[in-house]
Amino acid sequence: MKPSDAWAALRPARTSVRMTALLSALLLVATACGGGAEEGAADPEAADETIANCDVEVPADDPPERVFAAYQPAIETAHALGISDRLVGTAFLDAQVPEEHVDVQAEQEYYPGLPSREELLSHNPDFVLSGFNDTFTEESLGTRASLRELGIESWVPSPLCPSEDGRSDESIDPSTVTMEHIYDDLRDLGALFDAEDRAEEVVADMEATVADVTDTLEGEFGALEEMDEEDRPTVAIARPDDEGFRVAGGPDFSTEIIGLAGGVNAFEDLDGGRNHDASAEDIIERDPDFILVDVCCDAEMTAADAAPDVQAILDDPVLANVTAVEEDQVAEFTFADRSAGLRSAPAVETVAETIHPDLF
Amino acid sequence: MADRTAEHTADRHATTRPEPRSARPPARTRTARAGGPGLLGSSAARSLGLVAALALLAGVAMASVLIGYQRFTLEEVQLAYAGYTGSDTDLVIRHLRVPRTLAGILVGAALGVAGVLVQGVTRNPLGDPGLLGINAGAALAAVLAISFFGATALLGYVGFAFVGAALAACVVHTVGSLGPDGSSPVKLALAGAAISALLGSLTSAIVLQDRATLDEYRFWVVGSLVGADSTSVPQALPFLAVGLVLALALARPLNVVALGDDLARSLGTRLWLVRAGSALAVVLLAGTATALAGPIGFVGVAVPHIARALVGPDHRWLLPWSAVLAPLLLLVADIVGRVVVRPEELQVGIVTALIGAPFFILLVRRRKVAGL
Repeated sequence: MKPSDAWAALRPARTSVRMTALLSALLLVATACGGGAEEGAADPEAADETIANCDVEVPADDPPERVFAAYQPAIETAHALGISDRLVGTAFLDAQVPEEHVDVQAEQEYYPGLPSREELLSHNPDFVLSGFNDTFTEESLGTRASLRELGIESWVPSPLCPSEDGRSDESIDPSTVTMEHIYDDLRDLGALFDAEDRAEEVVADMEATVADVTDTLEGEFGALEEMDEEDRPTVAIARPDDEGFRVAGGPDFSTEIIGLAGGVNAFEDLDGGRNHDASAEDIIERDPDFILVDVCCDAEMTAADAAPDVQAILDDPVLANVTAVEEDQVAEFTFADRSAGLRSAPAVETVAETIHPDLF
Repeated sequence: MADRTAEHTADRHATTRPEPRSARPPARTRTARAGGPGLLGSSAARSLGLVAALALLAGVAMASVLIGYQRFTLEEVQLAYAGYTGSDTDLVIRHLRVPRTLAGILVGAALGVAGVLVQGVTRNPLGDPGLLGINAGAALAAVLAISFFGATALLGYVGFAFVGAALAACVVHTVGSLGPDGSSPVKLALAGAAISALLGSLTSAIVLQDRATLDEYRFWVVGSLVGADSTSVPQALPFLAVGLVLALALARPLNVVALGDDLARSLGTRLWLVRAGSALAVVLLAGTATALAGPIGFVGVAVPHIARALVGPDHRWLLPWSAVLAPLLLLVADIVGRVVVRPEELQVGIVTALIGAPFFILLVRRRKVAGL
């Protein structure tokens, strides 16, 4: 990828042309094979009962027994639904799991990153529960169709449905980025795993948490949908990096979390992916009232680990005039808290407490 | 009338040709050999050209301060220093745009000069701190320092970058000299490409292990000027200054080295001293440049050739010209990178190759680059 390499590759011009031809031929063969295989698997076991998840019909008459949970939201969902004993493996935590799940999680086989497809298959799972949408791509564990060929069903959180199987973040439908979609998902998974009661409890809990916040906000400002612009602080979820900042854009679930907490995502207009690069100048222009620093990705992470980055933002001379910095409103947060899942409801509460300190 | 004038000039040329130092060499010679005198034959033309290039660099540097996410006016820039009020404009100019532009100039000059040194001392037309694995070595060492020793400020890892640069250079030289017939340009370039690829993939592996979002640390894989700020640039300055002075002091000895080892020795040049001095300068220049902006390739190999096409092989001209032309290329690339995918940015390492490559290919096709 380095320019110097690219130049070196240019030197023997004839060979490189031949190589390119050869490579594209290989690619053609590879993609052709991939396409054929997927088509062949388009209509599989004709289950009596199915549940739709991101345009994939998941058979629901036989609860999965060997579940692989990839990413934080999936792992926490599995524990919350009480199916921890059906887990054959877990992977890629972004932060510490909640207190009540620490012990069960400690017993699980755990991969700090996503395992390879082969490693996954060695656990002989019959279900892959994913917390994000980039799990089922050719580069990662393989498409959902390709796993189904091996008798493995799968699940993607519906607030992150890709436009088609095999794709990921670039194509999220913003209308699905709602708390309702998380509740629906939990109920569907409850049905799938024969854990409807637990699912209902979990959903009721989350609904109550969000309702508390909504009630408090509406008591002060009137209906949440009609809240005045000036009553809604702008909130940027941003993490400093080499290129400036990494921020959460419109299709990210944090947009819904911030909205329910009575604020507005300062980078809501950025679409085409959940995460975006933003320069310091971009932050200055948007002038957010609050900056939440979302540390990531380690099984030991907590919001307190954001402290050095919070300090760096407060000390950055360029950002001195940004409202969030001037008013000392840069807060510790975690990437896990802005993911779509069980944490979303408590996250609404946390964000509301941060941006409306007088009310909570 | 016109005919007669033409005849007259032709006549005059015929009589002046035998003189060794005519104002402009005939166009033929510059396409003939790499060792030719270059487009600008006389000292006067070279000096004037250098002044013009410097003026152009000043203009581009100003553009680099003005153009970006927001556009500024000259007046705003002046006010940021003369009438500082602490407004957003003042802050952006003082803490982002100006340091970034200075970093572009410093990094560019360092890479251009380091390229001339490597090409001169190895007499290898492909010599480039990027192509010989030096930038990749510095980047890997810096990344190691950051991820395993928690170094954060530039001063914390620039030392590591030096060691990495030096080690990479040694390994490439050793691997490139294996075999019965010693080192050759092609073998060195091959070894450099292989070691660069190896070190680059190690860097990627460490950076990806960090597991924050995948492209968070692209800086260390491609190279970018965004990371340069008002603290890192002054910290890098002394290292670069020493490297540049050392390089300029080597100009005359490098001219002698260009004549060949035996001749150079018989003229009383201490070859090992020239080589050691060059190596030190290259490590200082390329190591610091990489610590400041990540591994940026292409500038170091292309700019010396462009400079050679203009002013010929004399290092006393080649070094200052490269020191001006390289930042020119880098800054233009950086500005383009800021504008084309606004509001996001394309990294300067990518843009330099995109802009420079066609120009360079043209050059290579016109001249026999291998004839250094």
